Amino acid sequence: MARALVVWLLALLAAAFVTARSNYVADLSAFLPRSPSAEQAVLLDQLRSGVAARLVLVGIEGGTPAARSAASLEWARALRKSGLFESVNNGDNSQYEALGTFLFEHRYLLSPAVDAQRFSADGLRSAIDETVSLLGSPAGTMVKPVLLRDPTGETVRMAESMLPARAPRSEGGVWVSRNAERAVLLATTRADGSDLDGQQHAFEQLRASFAPYAAQGLKLVVSGAGTFAVASRAQIKHEVERLAIAGSAAIVLLMWLAFGSLRALAIAVLPVGTGVLAGIATVSLTFGQVHGITLGFGTTLIGEAVDYAIYYLIQAHAPAAAGSERGAGARRWIACNWPTVRLGLWTSLCGFVALIFSGFPGLAQLGVFSVAGLVAAALATRYVLPALAPDGAPGLGLRRQLGAATGRAAAFAPRLRWPLWLLGLAALALLLWLPSPWRGDLASLSPIGADALKLDAQLRSDVGATEAGTLVALSANDEAGVLALAEQAGARLDRLVAEGVLDGYDSPVRLLPSPATQAARRAALPEAAELRTRIAQAAVDGPIKAERLAPFIADVQAARSQPTLTRASLQGTPLATAVDAMLVAGRDGRPWRVLLSLQTGERGIAAERLRAALAGVPGAQVVQIGAELGALYSRYLREAMWQAGLGALAVCVLLGAYLRSWRRLLGVVEPIAAAVLIVLAALALHGAALGILHLVGFLLVVAIGSNYALFFDQLRHGVGGDPGASDSDTLASLALANLTIVISFALLALSSIPALYAIGQVVAPGTLLCLLLSAAFVRGPARGAV
Amino acid sequence: MNTLRRALLAGGCALLLTGGAAQAAAGPFDLAQLTQLLASKRSGEATFVEKREVSVLDRTVMTSGRLSFEAPDTFVRENLKPQRERVAVVGNMLTMSRGERSRSVALDSVPEASVIIEAIRGTLTGNRESLQKLFETSVSGSAERWSLELVPRDARLRAQVATVRVSGRQAEVREMQVVMPDGDRSTMTIEPTLGKPAGPAAAGSGAAR
Repeated sequence: MARALVVWLLALLAAAFVTARSNYVADLSAFLPRSPSAEQAVLLDQLRSGVAARLVLVGIEGGTPAARSAASLEWARALRKSGLFESVNNGDNSQYEALGTFLFEHRYLLSPAVDAQRFSADGLRSAIDETVSLLGSPAGTMVKPVLLRDPTGETVRMAESMLPARAPRSEGGVWVSRNAERAVLLATTRADGSDLDGQQHAFEQLRASFAPYAAQGLKLVVSGAGTFAVASRAQIKHEVERLAIAGSAAIVLLMWLAFGSLRALAIAVLPVGTGVLAGIATVSLTFGQVHGITLGFGTTLIGEAVDYAIYYLIQAHAPAAAGSERGAGARRWIACNWPTVRLGLWTSLCGFVALIFSGFPGLAQLGVFSVAGLVAAALATRYVLPALAPDGAPGLGLRRQLGAATGRAAAFAPRLRWPLWLLGLAALALLLWLPSPWRGDLASLSPIGADALKLDAQLRSDVGATEAGTLVALSANDEAGVLALAEQAGARLDRLVAEGVLDGYDSPVRLLPSPATQAARRAALPEAAELRTRIAQAAVDGPIKAERLAPFIADVQAARSQPTLTRASLQGTPLATAVDAMLVAGRDGRPWRVLLSLQTGERGIAAERLRAALAGVPGAQVVQIGAELGALYSRYLREAMWQAGLGALAVCVLLGAYLRSWRRLLGVVEPIAAAVLIVLAALALHGAALGILHLVGFLLVVAIGSNYALFFDQLRHGVGGDPGASDSDTLASLALANLTIVISFALLALSSIPALYAIGQVVAPGTLLCLLLSAAFVRGPARGAV
Repeated sequence: MNTLRRALLAGGCALLLTGGAAQAAAGPFDLAQLTQLLASKRSGEATFVEKREVSVLDRTVMTSGRLSFEAPDTFVRENLKPQRERVAVVGNMLTMSRGERSRSVALDSVPEASVIIEAIRGTLTGNRESLQKLFETSVSGSAERWSLELVPRDARLRAQVATVRVSGRQAEVREMQVVMPDGDRSTMTIEPTLGKPAGPAAAGSGAAR
C-alpha cells in the first residue's frame, strides 16, 4: 500500500512538472488532418504559416478625421520601430523610399514591358511618347526627376503591375474606411501564426502603445486570424477556469451532503486530479502541445473519474460487515465491485481509443487525454484510495435518504419500461424521418462571436484584404521552377481577366520574375552603341533630344550585367514579405509552392472553368477554400463516426465476452442505445447542427452509461456474491455519481464555447437517461429494489 | 511606389468638359451662381487640344482628342493624337486603357488623381459642395465670361497641383489650365461638338445631386 502511494506521488509530481511546462494552443489547425490531400496541403500551408495567419487589421475610431490621421501616422512609425511587426501599412508612403530605389535600380529585370520590340527605334519612340504624356500632370511629379534615366517609363510599368487595384481609400495621407469614421492600418506580425505567445505579445504591445491616443479620445479596434486565436485561447482558459470552479463547488456540496466529511471529500477528488494531470502530461509528451479544447475537456473527465471515487468510497464502506478488520471494506470492494468498474473502464477506453487513431491531431489529443486520464484515475482509485481510506468513507451524510429514495425510484422505474421503450422507438423513427442533423462545420468549433466576425469583415473590406476564396497552387522542386510555372499560369489567367471572367489575381512573379524571364529581359537590352543609334532614330522630332539620354544608355548598360534577382536577394526589403505571402519555400522534403490568390468578385468563378483554363500547366491545382474546408470537416466527421462505430462495436464485443450471455448483453446495451437515440432525436428535433464534439459527447454517454448498466446488471444477477454490501449503497453511489455528472455537464452546456457547449448538451441529458433507462429496463424482478 | 501610382493615375485625368445653358443672374457673379449655371448641363461632348509646357522637355507637347461627360458621375477623356489613350471615370472607378492594356483603380485611393477628377466633375455637375470641400475657390468675371480658380485645401495635394483654372462662357467650359508647383502646366482648349445650349425651360432643372 505504501509503495502504491510513493509510486503515485512520484507519478503525480512528474505529471505536474510536464503539465506546467506544456505549450497550450488554441488554433483550429489542430483540427485539420495530418495526412492531407494535395488541395488540403495547400490549405494547411496557408493556415499554419501563411501570411494570412499573421495579418492584423487595425482601426482607429473616434475623434476628428485630423486626429485620427495624425495618430495613424505617428503610431505606425512607432510600431514599425518596435520590431514586433514585419510590416505596418497605413497608407503613409514615406516608408517606401528605400524600396523605390531598389525597384528603380532593377527596373529592366522587373518591368513586364521589357522585350526586344521595346528597344527597337519604334518601340522607344512609342514608350517615350507614353512617358511624356504623364508630364505636366500630377503624375509628372514622380516621372520628371528620372525622365532622362528612364525615358521609356519602366518604373511606371512596374508600378502598374505590382500595385493592387483594390487599394483602401486615402485621406489626409493615411488609409481610411469607406463606410465608417475610421482610419485603418494593416500589420503583419513577425511571430508565426502558430506562435500564439508571440502573437499575444505583439497584440499586448500594440494596445499598450496606443494608450496616449486613447487618452485623446481615440478608440482602437483590432482583428485578424491571430487575434481570434489569442482571444479564443484566453476565452477557453477563462471558461475552463470558471467551469472548474463552478463544477468543483457543486461537487464539493454534493459530496458534503453525501459523506458529511471533509476527508472523504478530499479523497474523492484525488482520482479526478490524477486523471487530469496524467491526461495533460501524456498529451503534452505525445503531441508536444496541448490544445485548449482538450483542456476544456478535462473538466468533463470529472464526470467519469469522480464516479470511481464515489463508487469506492460508498461501496467499500460497509458498517454492517462482519469483523470490522481494517481494510476489509477495500478488499471486499476490490473483489466484488472493482471488476465491474474495470469493465466499465475497458468499455470507455474502447470508445476513446478509436479517437486516437484519428487522422486529426485535435481529435487524437482528445482520445489520448481521455484514455490516459481514465486509466490514471482508475489506477488511483484501485491502488491509492484503499491506502488512504481502507474502509471507504465513514460519514453518512444524507446518503441513507439518497439510497432509500433511489431504491424507491428504482423499484418504480420498471413500470416505465414500455413507455420508455416506445419513446426510444419514436426517437428512432423520428431520426429516420428527419434530415440528418450531422451538419456542423469547422466554424462551429470556433468560439468567435458574431460581433467580432462582423468587425473583421468590415476592416477587411476597408483595407481591401478580402479573405482568399479561390487559390491556384503550383509546386516544383526549386524556386526557379515554381516561378516559371507561376508565369505560365499567369498567362492563362490574364486571358480570363481580359475576357472579364476574373477581376484579377495576385502573383509573386510581378515582384520576382522567374530567372528565365529575367534572363530574357536582360538579353533584350541592346549594347551601348546600338542603343545610341536607335535612340537617335527614335528621338527625331521628339520632345527629348537624343544627346540628353546618355544617363538612359548608361543605366541600360549597367542592367545588362546585373545579377538575376532571387527570393534571397530580396531579403530585408518589404518585397520579401509580399513575395512570401505567395511563395512558400520548400523545406523538409516539401516542394516550393506558389499560391495565386484570385479576385473573383461577387459572382465567383467555377472551378471547372479555371481548371480548363489552366490545362497544360503542370500540376496546377485549383483550391476553393470554402468548399475545401467543408470537405475537410465532412471527412473529419465521417472518419470520427466510423471510429465511433468501431468503438461501439468493440464495447459490445467486450461486454459480450465478459457477460457471456446474449440476454444480459442486450440488457446492458439496450438502455444505452435508447438513451443515445432519444437525445439524438431531441437535438435533431430542436434543429441543432451536430458536429464532431457532439459525437465525442455521445462517446462519453456510452462510456459512462455502460457503467450504470453494468451495475444494474450486477444488482440483477448478484455477481460475486457481494456479502454485506447493501444494494441500497450501490444505488446511492449510482445516483450520486449521476448527479455529479449531470451537474458538471449541465454547467458545460451553459458555456459560451461551442465545443464545451456541444459536449454538455449531449452528456447531461444522455447520462441521466442512461441511469433512468438502466433502472427501467432491468429484466425480471429487480432484486435491487429496497 | 504608391506615390508613383497616384501620379500615374492622376496623369490620365487632366481634362475637361463642355458648356451649355445660360441663365441670367443678378448681383455679383459668385460660386453659387456659377455652379447653378453649370448644373443645368447634364451631358455633353467636345473636342480638345491640350498644350503642355514642361521644363524638362525640349519642346511643348500637343495632345488632342475627345471628351464626354454625363451626369452624375461619368466622364471620358480619349486621346487621339499622338497616341490613342483612354481614361474613363465612372463613380469611384478610374479605368485607363492604352492598346490592349487596361487598368482600374478606386479613385478615392489616389487623392492626387481625385483632386483633378473632382475639379472637373465638380465643375461639370455644378457640385458646389464637392468643390468647396476640396478647394479654396474664387470666381471672377460674369456669367458671360467667367473664370474659376481652384486651389487644393490639403497641403499634401498642393504639392502635386498648385492651381486649376477653369474658364468659360455661360454653361460652357472653354478652357482648363492645371499649374504644377514647379511651374509646369497644361492648358486645354475645349470646343463643344454636341452641346446644344439648353433652353430656359431646362435651366436650373439639372441641379444634379
